[in-house]
Amino acid sequence: MDAQTLPNNPHRKFSPGRIWALATSTLTQLVRMKVFYFLLIFIALLFVAGFLFISLSFEQELKLLKDIAFGAMSLFSIIFAIVGTAILIPRDVEDRTLYTILSKPVPRLEYLIGKLFGVLLLVAISLIAMDLIFSAILYLRQNVILTEQIALLESEGNATPENIADVTNLVNAQGVNWDLQAAVFSIFLKAAVLASFSMLLSTFATSTMFTIVVGFAIFFIGHGQSLARDYFLGGIEVEAIQKLITVTLVVLFPDLQLFNLVDGVVSGESVPVSLLLKITGIATLYLVIYNLAAYLVFSEKEL
Amino acid sequence: MTEDSTPAVSIDNITKVFPLPLRKGKGLLAVDKVSIQMTPGEIYGLIGPNGSGKSTTMKILLGLVTPTEGHSRIFGKDSRKVESKHEVGFLPENPYFYKHLTGAETLHFYGKLCGLKRKQIRERTEELLDLVELQNARDRRLGGYSKGMLQRIGLAQALIHRPKLLVLDEPTAGVDPVGSRQIRDLILRLSEKGITVFLCSHLLEQVQEICHRVGIIFRGKLVREGTLAELISVEDQTEIILRDASPELLEKIQTLVDSENTETVRVGKPRTTLERLFLDHAASDRQNKE
Ligand SMILES: Nc1ncnc2c1ncn2[C@@H]1O[C@H](COP(=O)(O)OP(=O)(O)O)[C@@H](O)[C@H]1O
Ligand SMILES: [Mg+2]
Repeated sequence: MDAQTLPNNPHRKFSPGRIWALATSTLTQLVRMKVFYFLLIFIALLFVAGFLFISLSFEQELKLLKDIAFGAMSLFSIIFAIVGTAILIPRDVEDRTLYTILSKPVPRLEYLIGKLFGVLLLVAISLIAMDLIFSAILYLRQNVILTEQIALLESEGNATPENIADVTNLVNAQGVNWDLQAAVFSIFLKAAVLASFSMLLSTFATSTMFTIVVGFAIFFIGHGQSLARDYFLGGIEVEAIQKLITVTLVVLFPDLQLFNLVDGVVSGESVPVSLLLKITGIATLYLVIYNLAAYLVFSEKEL
Repeated sequence: MTEDSTPAVSIDNITKVFPLPLRKGKGLLAVDKVSIQMTPGEIYGLIGPNGSGKSTTMKILLGLVTPTEGHSRIFGKDSRKVESKHEVGFLPENPYFYKHLTGAETLHFYGKLCGLKRKQIRERTEELLDLVELQNARDRRLGGYSKGMLQRIGLAQALIHRPKLLVLDEPTAGVDPVGSRQIRDLILRLSEKGITVFLCSHLLEQVQEICHRVGIIFRGKLVREGTLAELISVEDQTEIILRDASPELLEKIQTLVDSENTETVRVGKPRTTLERLFLDHAASDRQNKE
């Protein structure tokens, strides 16, 4: 070994490779904390929801299954987003791991982006896993119900091709479709916004608990944000000052209701592509703003 | 400026005042106008008690803490610039790395951060695991490593990108004597290969054993600096060290000394160490205060 720097490795001001290294190590860290055991809880919940309430009408039953599945997906992804982000950076500071990372040629912005991406990877993987499990169970239930319904028609002597087609349409409308996947994606966007907000908090918060509590407070406020805005502005014509207040409110408290496609989708509405693009754009904007704000705080921070 | 005349480390009149919360306007003076220059290839030791500003000086050199005044450079590159990190490897005080990663994965992670290619990382990992004698623990998670092993994987991590400068904050603190000896041998071997080493310690004997040059820092101020020989010799005194001297001989010498206009300061076993020098300074400082 000699005291020469390695050849062919010019310094890069911005490197996706470094961000990826940080993101995957963050993901490994979270995975090895055995977070994926939560999937067992999820499966158990869906089995209860899918196979116990058989006394309901089939529409109600499938709707209940979807409600529970989406509720659980929201809950798990938001807990991962807020808690995951809140514990990671303070831990790096406490363990002085951050010194070893930032004494390598890693810009502080890349460190923040890498950590956030790691959490988002975890959220994305968990949502995909939950979506697969949920879709499989829903598909199974959907087919069982369909067979039952057709059998019922036959026993009543009403099994005409039209009646069968009607029942099939009715059941499938409540079954697996693309709009459900869009709803899962909207949950991901919401979690991403909350994760980046929680990261911003953790750059200046003095305790992890603070970040978690405020993160969840923002989650609840975020859902009532449009209500609060209407309340404060009383529905009057929006003047310059009020516009400013609105903008401040919107930045401080992300309007999470925007990302709520779930309720509509569960009751059978479809999601236009334009809406998906719009909320993706808004989420990206929030992510960029929070990330830059976090960077501003973090770049001045004494470590 | 040629490569050779660029100092490895140039710390220029650095002051750091940490703001104290709740007390506006007043701050904690952690480092007070410290200047240190290191020539490439030397081992420089910074010694001083806990809280004297050693770690803060090192963090400023690495751009982790912004100095209130002054600036520092690594091989001519401003410490605040990310580029300067290509030339330096750092082992912080009592570091904890990601517990969930194995030794080999840890080196891979830091190699990636340095922008090394996969193949380079693989080669460096083997070399370094050999160097720090952790080959047999390569696939164990760091959670199960001992303190000495953690320091050694920390050293390997600091060396992954072949830096020309190594900054070690208390590299042997909390490590048992055998492990500590292992780390000192490693530092000497690295130095032989031309790497500049900047280390600090509150354990004075260890510094004395391996450093070419030493700086003594006390309450944020660099109070003495020089080669070991310079620091330890007391200019207006002469020491005669004899082996197996008979009492008669000593008596003769004493009469001889008394007949001249010379004062005998001390007769006894030679014991001047950095430790004493340091304690002397602390004592005089206390007297000045009173
Ligand atoms: N981030 C910080 N904020 C406030 N004070 C600090 C900070 N880091 C260090 N200090 C203070 O600065 C002084 C020097 O600390 P340090 O450099 O860690 O000393 P050493 O490494 O020599 O033990 C100490 O009094 C310490 O409490
Ligand atoms: Mg220290």
